[in-house]
Amino acid sequence: MKNILALLRRFYLFLLFLALQGLALSLLFRNNRFHSAEMVRHSSDLVGSVYSRRSQLSEYLRLGEINDQLSLENALLRSAASENYWQLRTEKDSLRDTTTMQRYFYRTAKVVNASVNREKNYITIDRGMLGEVRADMGVIAGGNIVGVVRSASEHFAVVMPVIHSDFKASVRLKRSGAFGSLVWRGGNAQLADVIDIPKNIPVASGDTIVTSGYSTYFPANIHVGVVEWVDDTDNDYHLIKVRMGADFRRLDHVLVVSDIFKEEQDTLLNKVEQQDAANSKR
Amino acid sequence: MLQTVSVNIVRVLFLVLLQALVVSRVQLFDGLIFPWVYIFAILMLPFETPKWFVMLVGFMVGLLMDYFSGPIGLHTSACIFLGFLQPIVQKILAPREGYDLTQRPTVQRMGLAWYVTYAGVLTLAHHSWFFVMEVFRFSDFLYQVLHILLSTFATLVLMTIGQYLIYNSKNASL
Repeated sequence: MKNILALLRRFYLFLLFLALQGLALSLLFRNNRFHSAEMVRHSSDLVGSVYSRRSQLSEYLRLGEINDQLSLENALLRSAASENYWQLRTEKDSLRDTTTMQRYFYRTAKVVNASVNREKNYITIDRGMLGEVRADMGVIAGGNIVGVVRSASEHFAVVMPVIHSDFKASVRLKRSGAFGSLVWRGGNAQLADVIDIPKNIPVASGDTIVTSGYSTYFPANIHVGVVEWVDDTDNDYHLIKVRMGADFRRLDHVLVVSDIFKEEQDTLLNKVEQQDAANSKR
Repeated sequence: MLQTVSVNIVRVLFLVLLQALVVSRVQLFDGLIFPWVYIFAILMLPFETPKWFVMLVGFMVGLLMDYFSGPIGLHTSACIFLGFLQPIVQKILAPREGYDLTQRPTVQRMGLAWYVTYAGVLTLAHHSWFFVMEVFRFSDFLYQVLHILLSTFATLVLMTIGQYLIYNSKNASL
């Protein structure tokens, strides 16, 4: 007994070290899973408000540039508005157009914090549950995809951008329509990879990559980026490097996309999957 | 005593905010150089601080830093390691007549050579632990090593400049 106590006294620092490390590492590895409590903390109102003060200041210093961006976007939107289109047909069947129904809804948000040079980068935006921003909504900026909302608190939400090692989205080549997956493997914050496109489909640098619309995060045909180069040395698939349209180093105004049909689509898929699971069990 | 405690708390808060709001925003060579200057708060603890308490301070400072950046537990883990090594390094570097326990490890008190060795070894240990825990791939081995060494150097330079700026004879109590 005396020996054990002496041993403890001798090594108590190392034991304390091991205990604290155990605690820290368990926090680290528990929180590294997708959709974890880690995100809630990132978007916690205290840290969020500190970051939003800072971004207010830096935004003020960049007002000129932001104005330019916004007026450019305004011009694009204005030219897309219906009154700018010349009517080819003179007759109209009805005043209310019942052939379309709004599916995607856009909300503005401002970036209050963003990292670009880590392996797992996050973006914090100043809209949360009170602004109807929820997890799994897409985020775009200037018409380019940025990421997906991971978690929201009352006033803030944390976005997992394309430049996060766990990010994955369904995209396609605009020219051929072939589908692939958009991922990012670290390094340059403007270059992402498109994988899973078979080699028999022609790809050249300069081709445009857009979203596929398969997931409920983004509408179809949102601009992702332009093919920078293609590496064909490996196996059966192209390795495509894409220069992304969104500049992750200087994001300030973003749009959060909510899919009005999302719940319906997800529930339907879930139902079918459950039925199949039940059938196969039988 | 009370003054020492409050000065250290203020220093921790100031450095963590400085790190989160300013230093982490500086992007040198695509993130190749990424200094973590907030560890200055741990390095500056007085010599009389009990060894177990240094580690506990490391734990708390790391946790606070984690709330501002990165997944929770990453800085915590690296700072516990730093807090564990700090008394050991101090013991190895102890001058023949021992330390004046009421003092803190500053350039003015201990000399530039002593300070650079002390802070250099501990910063290298902290940064290596941190970057290895964050991401380690053998594919970019050289890049990772370069990343650790350059970041350590940047942190060390910033901390040493900070010492000269803050700790002159006028406000030696800070």
